[in-house]
This record gives sequence, C-alpha cells and structure tokens, in this order.
Amino acid sequence: MSTWLNHHLQAIRLVLSRMRANLLSTFMICLVIAVAMCLPSLFYIGVDNLSKLTNHMKSETEISLFLKLDVTSDNIAEIDAVLAKNIAISQYHLVTKDDAWQQLQAKSKDNQNISSAIEQLGKNPLPDAFFIQAKSTDPETLETLRNTLQSIPGVEQAILNADWAKRLATLLSIGKKLIFFITALLAVVLLVIIGNTVRMQILSQKDEIQVSYLIGATNSFIRMPFLYAGVLYGLLGGLLSVLMITGIIQTFNYSVMEISKLYSSDFSLNLLNINLYLTIIGLAVTIGWVGSYLAVTRAISAIKIS
Amino acid sequence: MIQFDQVSKRYPSSDQILKNVSFSINAGEFVYVTGHSGAGKSTLLKLIAATELPTSGTVLIANQNVSKLKPSAIPFLRRRFGLIFQDHKLLYDRNCFENVILPLRINGVSEQEAAKRVRAALDKVGLLNKEKVMPITLSGGEQQRLAIARAVVSRPSILLADEPTGNLDASYAADIMAIFQAFNQVGVTVIMSTHDALGMSADQNRVLHLDHGQLTENPFMQKTLNLNTTPAGSFSS
Repeated sequence: MSTWLNHHLQAIRLVLSRMRANLLSTFMICLVIAVAMCLPSLFYIGVDNLSKLTNHMKSETEISLFLKLDVTSDNIAEIDAVLAKNIAISQYHLVTKDDAWQQLQAKSKDNQNISSAIEQLGKNPLPDAFFIQAKSTDPETLETLRNTLQSIPGVEQAILNADWAKRLATLLSIGKKLIFFITALLAVVLLVIIGNTVRMQILSQKDEIQVSYLIGATNSFIRMPFLYAGVLYGLLGGLLSVLMITGIIQTFNYSVMEISKLYSSDFSLNLLNINLYLTIIGLAVTIGWVGSYLAVTRAISAIKIS
Repeated sequence: MIQFDQVSKRYPSSDQILKNVSFSINAGEFVYVTGHSGAGKSTLLKLIAATELPTSGTVLIANQNVSKLKPSAIPFLRRRFGLIFQDHKLLYDRNCFENVILPLRINGVSEQEAAKRVRAALDKVGLLNKEKVMPITLSGGEQQRLAIARAVVSRPSILLADEPTGNLDASYAADIMAIFQAFNQVGVTVIMSTHDALGMSADQNRVLHLDHGQLTENPFMQKTLNLNTTPAGSFSS
C-alpha cells in the first residue's frame, strides 16, 4: 500500500519538476488543448442558448383565427360555442373588428405616416378574430388543431404562429450533430498531439528507462509519470479552456443583453454552466490519459526490444 | 541459490555463445567468471539476471525457473540482484544522489528512508562528499564506485558485476575489488566476470572458466593465480 502510494507521489513529483523545467512547452501544449476544447464548446453554447430561446417561444404558440369579413354576431356566437367545446384549447379570447380598429389607431398615434395612412382608409378593413391558446405545445397536435379550426364555417384563415420556430429547431438539431463531429475530430487531433508530446519525452528519458528496466522496474512504474503528464496536460488545458470560454461569454453577454433589452427580455448567456465545464475538463483529462497511454505503450515496447 | 542445468544460449544469426553449461552457486559465495573476450561471460551474467532467457536448459534462481516466469514477475526477480556494468550505465543528467536513489524509487521506498540509505551506500564506496556532484565530473574509478553504490543501495542478496574493473588502472581496480570483498564478507553473494587475471585476489574464491562457451571449472587457475593484490583501504560495512 505504502509502496503504491510512494510510486504515485514520486511520479507526480517527477512530472511537476519536469514541467517546471519546461514551462514554455508545457504552456504551449496546454494552450493547444484549451483552444481545441474551446471551439466546439462555444459552438455548443451558441446552439444551446438558441434552442432555449426557441423553447421559450414555443410556449407562447397560439393560433390566430381570422373570421370572414361578412360574419354576423350570430355566427360569432356559434363559433364561440364550438371553441368552448374543444378540449384541446386551454383558453381563447375574441377581438372584434371594432376593438382591433381602435387598438390599431391607438398604437399608431405616435407615428404620423401610419396614422395618416389609416385615416385615408376611411373604413375598418379588419376582420373579427379569435386568439386561441392550445393546451399542447407539440407541433403535430397544433397542426391538427389548426386544421380543425380552419374547417369551421365562417373562418377565413387559421394561422399557426410556430412555423418559423419549427424550422429553427430543425436547424439547431443539425447544429448539434455538427458539434458532435467537430468534437470527435478535435479529440482525435488532441490524441495525436498529446501522444506525440509524450513520445518525445519518453525518447529524451530513454537511458533512464533502459537502466530502470535492468534494475527491476515494472511496466507500470515506467508508464506512471508519463500517464500523469498526459492527465496533467489535460487538466491544465481543460481549466485554461474553461477560463477562455468564460471570458468570451462575458464579452458576448454585453452585446446579447443589449439586444435582449431591445426585445424587452432579460435573456443573457449563462456564465456558470457547471455541467459543461466539468464535461470539458473531464474530456480533456480522458484524452490526455488515453493519448499518453497509447504513446507510452508503443514507445516502451520499442525501447525494450532495442 | 543459482542453478544452471545444461544451459545453452544462441542468438539469432550467430554462433552458439554458451554450450551445455551446468553449475550451481550457493548463497554467500564469491565467484569469478573468467575467459577470453567473447567466451560468453556477459551472456552468462545476463542469463542470471534474467535479461536474457536460455535457448535450452534451465536456469533456476532461488528455485524459480526463469524461463517459466511470467513477464510481469521478472522485474521482481531482478530486484534480488545488484547489477554493475562495465560501462557503468550511470545517468548523466542528474547528480550522484539522484543516480543512487533510482532502485529505491523503483522499490517504492519513502523519500526520507531512501535518502538515509543512499547516503549509507555512498559512504560505503567513499563518495559521501560527492552527493551533489554530476557523475560526468567523476574519474573512471569514482564512476564505477558510484555504480556499485547504486547496485547495493537496495540491499540485494546477489551482486552481479560484468567486468567492473575492465577499464580501470590497477590501483582503482584494487579499490573496487576491496569493496566487493567487503560486501561478500557480510554475506552478499558476488558473481563477477573478468577477462583479466589481475582482477582476482583471494585464493578462497571460486572460478568459473569459460572457453568458447564451454565451462571448465579450473582448479589449476585457482591455485596458480594467487596474486595477492590486497587493497589499500579497508571498507567495512
């Protein structure tokens, strides 16, 4: 037990002293890892936040039911009764053509051009309309509901306002797939880079490894410092990457919050995404370990044969 | 302790190095392996240290058949030996202390305990004051003594030395021999190859003489080579 512990302590001490002796190259390899981890992470944060935004939109999905211009108040009462019976509808309200007309005039009071254009119309061109909130947010259910509503006599047009949100969601799912492949490709690149760095270190320690084998070192003893080096590169690179991402999000947040304000929303990018950060660091450490393991296993068998 | 039974060794694309060699060495013996260069002395030592495996025959070390050991068990077998090489195999990128501590690191000895043992080993070979010195600045004899310190620091029961005095002049060689004698006196088995009769000292030592890969335990040599090169300093352990 204490032998095992001593081996690990020695390996860590050895790796740290080697890293201290080569500060610049250690920093460089960590920077490479950090940048490579940063790219897909930023992409992910973008897609993730956009999809959160669309979820937000979807919950506001409503169906606008515009009636024919010549409907009478009896027709409206009939439609009202039909809507009240439909169990897929959570709530709805009627905006009559007169109400809509008044709202339009009130809203355009400030704008000279529009108000003069409205005055020139002379009479009210607007239809009566029902605004319907469905119980479900599922796009297919909504589509069925829209079709049902469309077929009610006296209805000119039923408009589902979620079409663009649906398209965006599809685009985002493509984006997510892209992130997966970019991450996988960059992971391969990192494996090669870390593996090569560790291989160079092994070659520079060749004499020590050969002598160690002669005086009774086991494979795991030889391997351990290099594995720790790989893991440490991953850890430092991952931490650096988290630092970079936080900085970049912070800079973006200024502009994002400005845009949000224009849309009177308090939306901003989430700074403290613990799960993402843990994933980045975990992935970097795993890649470091695997990269150095592959390199050291290959190099050791080469050294043993020679 | 060490038993060779009909051991032969042949490297690919070369002549047979060892032919049907059989002998046994008991604990606490001091054995010379002699012979002309190319007679198979180094190969014999490598077979004992399990850095080479025999082509045929059996090598038993502490009743374990080396050929049948799992590869993962071989490092632990090697830790029973202190190995000393003709070319020292020191690491020139670190100081004397760091060179000697290497076997203790491999054994997983704690740093404090290891530091004590390293100083004791350096003291035994008379290099205690050179702890922080880089090996490249040492003389040939001092380098060989440093290599001995590294071999004995983990307190092995068997010392294997391949021509330890081969590149040294007579007075340095005598120093080294005295150190080996001192270890043998406290019960360490010493097996040492030499091509040069002057390396041998006391008459009680046994000689394994190799001639073109064949063993001739040579009583004639043992009697006639009573060249007494008593060492200048005495090293007690």
